[in-house]
Amino acid sequence: MLLMATSMVLPVAVSLHYGDGAQYGLLVSGVIIAGAGLFMRNLLGHNATYEMQERESFWITSVVWLVVPLCGAIPYLFTGVLEDFTDAVFESVSGFTTTGSSVIIRPEGVPQGILVWRAITQWIGGLGLILFVIALQRRLSRGAQKLYSAEFSGTQQRKLHPHIARSVSRMWNIYTLITLVLIALLLLAGNTTLDSFCLALSTVSTGGFTTTQFGMSGFSDLTLTILTVFMFLSGVNVALLYNFFTLKWRRFKVNQEFLFYVVLFLFASLSCFVAFSVANGGFSVANLQFSFFHIASTISTCGFYTDSPAVWPLWPAVLTFVLILSGACAGSTGGGIKLRRLMTLFLYLRNYLTRMVHPNVVFTVKIDHKKVPGEYVNKIFGFIFLYICFIIGGAFLLTCCGSSIHEAFCLAASNISNLGPSPLINSLGASLDYAMLPVLSKWVLVILMLVGRLEIFALLAIVSPSYWKHR
Amino acid sequence: MKSSDIKAVHRFLGTYLIAEGALMALCLIPALHFGDGTELPITLSAMFTLAIGVLLRQRYKAFHTIEDRRIAYLLVVMIWVVMSLFATLPFLTTGSTTSFTAAWFESMSGVTSCGATVFPEVGSLPASVLLWRSMTQWFGGYGIVLIVLALTPRLGINKFALYSAEASGADNAGRNTVRTVVTVRRTLAVYLMLTLAFIVALYLSGMQLWDAVNLTFTNISSGGFSVNTDSIASVTPLQQYILAAAMFFSGMNFTMLFLLFTFRWKQLGHKFDQLRAYIAVYLLAAAFVTIGLHWHSGIAWGDSIRLGVVQTVSALTTTGSVVADYTLWWTPLTFLLLMLAISGGMAGSTSGGLKIMRVLILLRNARAILRNRLHPNVVNPVRLNGKPISGHLANNVMVIFIVFGASLMLGVMGLMLCGVNPSESIGASVGCLTGYGPGLGASGGFGSYAHFPPAALWFSSFLMLMGRLECMTLIVLLLPRFWRR
Repeated sequence: MLLMATSMVLPVAVSLHYGDGAQYGLLVSGVIIAGAGLFMRNLLGHNATYEMQERESFWITSVVWLVVPLCGAIPYLFTGVLEDFTDAVFESVSGFTTTGSSVIIRPEGVPQGILVWRAITQWIGGLGLILFVIALQRRLSRGAQKLYSAEFSGTQQRKLHPHIARSVSRMWNIYTLITLVLIALLLLAGNTTLDSFCLALSTVSTGGFTTTQFGMSGFSDLTLTILTVFMFLSGVNVALLYNFFTLKWRRFKVNQEFLFYVVLFLFASLSCFVAFSVANGGFSVANLQFSFFHIASTISTCGFYTDSPAVWPLWPAVLTFVLILSGACAGSTGGGIKLRRLMTLFLYLRNYLTRMVHPNVVFTVKIDHKKVPGEYVNKIFGFIFLYICFIIGGAFLLTCCGSSIHEAFCLAASNISNLGPSPLINSLGASLDYAMLPVLSKWVLVILMLVGRLEIFALLAIVSPSYWKHR
Repeated sequence: MKSSDIKAVHRFLGTYLIAEGALMALCLIPALHFGDGTELPITLSAMFTLAIGVLLRQRYKAFHTIEDRRIAYLLVVMIWVVMSLFATLPFLTTGSTTSFTAAWFESMSGVTSCGATVFPEVGSLPASVLLWRSMTQWFGGYGIVLIVLALTPRLGINKFALYSAEASGADNAGRNTVRTVVTVRRTLAVYLMLTLAFIVALYLSGMQLWDAVNLTFTNISSGGFSVNTDSIASVTPLQQYILAAAMFFSGMNFTMLFLLFTFRWKQLGHKFDQLRAYIAVYLLAAAFVTIGLHWHSGIAWGDSIRLGVVQTVSALTTTGSVVADYTLWWTPLTFLLLMLAISGGMAGSTSGGLKIMRVLILLRNARAILRNRLHPNVVNPVRLNGKPISGHLANNVMVIFIVFGASLMLGVMGLMLCGVNPSESIGASVGCLTGYGPGLGASGGFGSYAHFPPAALWFSSFLMLMGRLECMTLIVLLLPRFWRR
């Protein structure tokens, strides 16, 4: 029963394969994956209306996220782009988790089919493999809701539609629509078809794989501007975007998280602009553009990078690090802790401090005029605690493999929040070059990416002893 | 705030200054004994401090009870700031440093028992100044407030308010005034006894009385200053082990120690969760460091055990005595030491950091959340010592953790903005906020903070105060609502 969901995903991945299988290797791997998928599917039969418990939904979520990236690694191996198994898994996990850390040093040199495949893995990963599955398989009625909550743990979602499959397919539609619009715009801006396609998929999913060795530096200003706008959009809750495009303005207005996101984005971009201008002598359009591009890329955990100004003052670096951790809105394709959680935390903290002075005052935390229950606040605290634990633990293992302490922290933070490469890491003297990391480091980063993408609990649940007790 | 409250605050400060002046006067003993020519400046500093103290007390004689909680927070912060301000006098008057920033950093580091120093050559300082540094740590480590509370039970302030402002959070100390006073007296008795015992032990092991007194003062308070430039690296291995024992005790809950030493074991009940965690964390970490040093760096077993045992306890209790330059060790070992400093010793000890108790609650709370997600209908209370703790307490601990983590990050960023390099910023931020002292790079190991720009020194000393007051007391003062009526 548990493997059933896995088998459902695989043909999906494969079907995406055939469209671009220009290479012989890709075709072979496609066939293999399809074979495996069909085999499992037939083996387990079609009797598929289950009511899943939390336990099973955790299991499925985790297994899907483990198995699919493994299969996704096959094309890299078969085409000979990456000869090492570790490298292939790293690249594939990085794609599916929309991180965008790459071990391919020169993307220009690899077959175009592979570039497309990389972009597609991100795009699938973007809205979550699970959502993808549910949208296609509307069989799981009540169980599906549990699955949905395992994927976006902790962040309360307002459903778009009472029927979960319907609301997921709405999200899916808007996601596809944005992608298509972006592809069209990039084509109009004069990019090649391949570039437009790959970049659009990377951007919308907040992944960050690029098609050139030097990040985004070879592209025109117009392209960068378009990307900035879309990176910003991809950091917004998809449900919100849906309301926006279907002209349900009233729902759109009350969302405090979005307002916070906009204010934070503007503040960060403008203050970076000022800092860059002061440090590099004179205000220029290039600096302004870079600031916005960089902040959008960071806050949405997209992870594109481009030619940065010659001198990096400390303020943008510091700000970048904070934004890496904070991430974008809950319910978007971005990673990180998510602004909604941080807002709740901040409000709770303010109340706490007031209570220190006036012990008898009773406060509640309210977001969007709705009370947030205390239990939920506790969960957020727990989440952030574990998040930090994973960063520290990951950084510790990375230092075991030979990274310096600050390098290890930057790597751990940028990978757990699914950001991927960032100019910040360079500015701190560390290397962007994931290919040079030792094997063990790559596996550590693979785990961190998965943990970050699944928001910790799902993956932690299946390794906890209490999961296996009372079976 | 009422003017009568302000008067009472002045009166308090006066009392503390008199105590500080008296301790300063004690530094005359080494000055006369070693004849280092600092009698006059030390006398002047002590006289000045005493005079101000007496003046404040005379001026505001009226007996007054403070009921406003805000005054308690304000008072605690002011006490640390004012004490540290007057503690700069010996450094400045004896000409040990000409810069007020450096003197302020040093005295703040002493009073908060942090242990970071701005003097690259500690060994060349006059004896009286060395004793003063040790003494600031000794009384700072225990908490000035607690000492004075113990000595003057009739100060009139709501003592529990003051006590909780000082050691906020997960301490199981008394809930009312009477028990607070009893707790404070008991712990002070333990503190004095331990100090005496370790001075004697070190003396018997062949150390000079002068070194024994100073090193005991700085290690039992989990401070970490030394009279030698190379901290405790040059004392014999036996003495290093004795000092490690002193540090180990300094990281334990003093109330627990009191009950242990007076054979009142029944009163201890089954409250051993924290002790067990403390010992387990220590043993694991020491074993890891020892094995790491042996296997990775090829140090002989005898030495690697000694370095592992001593440096690990120094980090865990946030003492910061340095037995070997740990910044040159294998990176994960250095990293582990920093993490231990963040964890800190037991609640109710002289150590800094988050405290093991809180780490325990944090981990158990995370486990409970996880279980709750797996089995939503099962009640999963967070237990400590076998009893469920309230959700309120769990959330309080979470808040302190978050604020501590945020301060740590802001500390790193602030230091970087002041022009310190990234790796040293991390080290210094951890070192100052937890009270460990030395950090990474040139400011770690046997190094000093002498090369820090003035802004960075000010910022670091702010971090020390922040860490010592466990963040919340200082942050609440920054709240606009705090100052509104």
